Amino acid sequence: MTGGIARFIGLAGIAAMAALALAGPLLVGHDPARQNLMASLPPPLSEGHLLGTDHLGRDMAARLLAGARITLSLAAFAVLSAACFGTGLGILAGWAGGITDRLLGAFADGVLALPGLLLVLLLAAIHPNSWWTLYAGLALTLWVEFFRMSRARTRIVVAGPAVEAAQMLGLGRWHIVRRHLWPAVATQVLTLAAFGAATVVTALATLGFISVGLRPPTPEWGVMMAELLPNWREAPWTVMAPVICLAFTVACLRLCAGREEEA
Amino acid sequence: MTLKVEDLTVCIGDRRLVGPLGFSVARGEPLTILGETGAGKSLLAQAIMGALPRGLNATGAVLLDGQRLDSLPERARQALWGRRLAMLPQEPWRALDPLMAAGSQVAEVHALIGRTPWQKARSLAEQTLTRLKLDRRAGAALPGTLSGGMAQRVAFAAATAGGAGVLLADEPTKGLDEMRRDEVVRLLADFVAEGGILITITHDIAVARALGGQAMILREGEVVESGVAERVLSAPQSAYGRELVAADPATWPLPESRPATGDSVLRAEALSVARGQRLLCAGIGFDLPAGGRLAITGPSGLGKTSLLDTLAGLIPPSAGRVERLGRARAPFGLQKLYQDPPAAFAPQVSLATSLDDLERRHGLPPDRLPSLLQRLGLAPDLLARRPRAVSGGELQRLALARVLALAPAVILADEPTSRLDPVTQRRVMAVIAEAAEEAEAAVILVTHHATMARHWALEVLDLERNAEVQTAA
Repeated sequence: MTGGIARFIGLAGIAAMAALALAGPLLVGHDPARQNLMASLPPPLSEGHLLGTDHLGRDMAARLLAGARITLSLAAFAVLSAACFGTGLGILAGWAGGITDRLLGAFADGVLALPGLLLVLLLAAIHPNSWWTLYAGLALTLWVEFFRMSRARTRIVVAGPAVEAAQMLGLGRWHIVRRHLWPAVATQVLTLAAFGAATVVTALATLGFISVGLRPPTPEWGVMMAELLPNWREAPWTVMAPVICLAFTVACLRLCAGREEEA
Repeated sequence: MTLKVEDLTVCIGDRRLVGPLGFSVARGEPLTILGETGAGKSLLAQAIMGALPRGLNATGAVLLDGQRLDSLPERARQALWGRRLAMLPQEPWRALDPLMAAGSQVAEVHALIGRTPWQKARSLAEQTLTRLKLDRRAGAALPGTLSGGMAQRVAFAAATAGGAGVLLADEPTKGLDEMRRDEVVRLLADFVAEGGILITITHDIAVARALGGQAMILREGEVVESGVAERVLSAPQSAYGRELVAADPATWPLPESRPATGDSVLRAEALSVARGQRLLCAGIGFDLPAGGRLAITGPSGLGKTSLLDTLAGLIPPSAGRVERLGRARAPFGLQKLYQDPPAAFAPQVSLATSLDDLERRHGLPPDRLPSLLQRLGLAPDLLARRPRAVSGGELQRLALARVLALAPAVILADEPTSRLDPVTQRRVMAVIAEAAEEAEAAVILVTHHATMARHWALEVLDLERNAEVQTAA
């Protein structure tokens, strides 16, 4: 039961975050890129800025929400593509078996042998400061888990009498995918997706922080942390704000995933 | 020596699961407790041993030679296990340690329960196993590599090695074919002849008949009938007792033999079946007419299921050929029924969804399935449930309806009732025969239950006597 409550809190947190990100800068009434060097680093709730401004006088709240947009959209797209691609190939490999299975398995093992972050760094070096590069790199590292899980589950289900009976009754491939295979992998796909999204959020901030991901002036959380770090003595809240946003998002995603359990 | 049970009840909270019931068993006169799954038979054995699962409690008295056992503290009760009371659990390959040689598991009991030195324990174990016709190789083998009958003999040796005078056997013949079942029954009868007190729990009436002594029929935890086995089993007084005894395949009326009239639908010629490199059976030939009923029997391990899969075209024959003729050549002319009914349905969707998919895929007339369900005695509200929430007997009939909806020429049934109670088994087998006859479908039944095969099929193919077809007398 406690698992259910935790999952609910996680979902509610992510939903709130997503709603705020969608409403975005409109809600705050400030342009996240507009500078005002006359008013840098005032404390929160002053001069019409809910969370104050940064060292260049840009509204913090507006920048945080713009960052949420970038982070959440990237996480959602990367995980969605990885899940579709990985689960699809996994079901194909587990079902077809034989040479298809061996080739796809070898491909997945090959990708797995490459450290995920290295792949992203490689792509980022070729084409720096691009949302699409980060998306492609992260999606490429994430799909393998979906592939391995769904291949293993599919193998078991396909060998069972239920699928054999469905085949003998002529129910067709679509029925088998929809009624037998997808239900068998669905819960674990969702769990993996939540974990994967948390990985993407952290990876994006890490790359931004060490200046190999997105670059200033893009309002990305990791970039903001790096930019604001020199001011930590005068205005610690400005550094803390993106850190809290990041921690909150990752915690909510982990709560959504719940414990890895058999359905 | 006597074991006496008085007013025994087993409850969970305030819900009574078993009893109140009482009986007394003396040496040389075994007691057999009969009843369907869920009748509380196993709980009764656990209550006598003092090994009930947590949350269940027993009241009443258990007396061994006039000494109350139930009031003893737990440790004192456990000290009796193996020394005075022993239990032969169901499915021996689960009860034995899978990573320890069979002989060592028997020696261990001699050493730890019988307190004999290890060296002597080993030789004692070897003697016991030899007496049970298990050679040195079987003694050195891991339980997983032994056959069901051999594993049950090892479990029997281990259970009785501590010198217990009372043996509780819980479904000792479950999953065994008839030959191996009779071996186990002989073993139990010898135990009684040597002066042991035996309580056997079973749903197989043939076991009760062979053991003799006293018999007791349980239903929903209550005694329906008890008395001398011969009387209870030949002339039961209660309605349920009559139903249970009539469910014994040995008492089923033999099918009337009639000459095969229909055209052939399935023909096997010099068929061999192999799994990997291992040849399972060879030289099988038969000619199945439309509407025929053929049973394939034989002990476990002869490749009955593989043979059925070969006939279904799911695995290629290693030699010989299978020919589909007439209506069986249609794309869905061959259908299959499975051993474990819930495993044959999509587990996560309702039965209605599964059947709707079938209806839509084949464009069946909308009244086809409902009328079949009605014909097979199934309530329509079952369909709202998922497969695991429906009883095995109902689900097997539902599987039959699903198959019949496609009007197949041949139905291949792989042990369709081995997981069902005797009463349900009888009903399901009767329904399969009737419905297949109405639909003019031939049935091939695979079973290790030779008696049932003889009393149900028109023709029997015994794989052990290799491939000759015998027409029912």
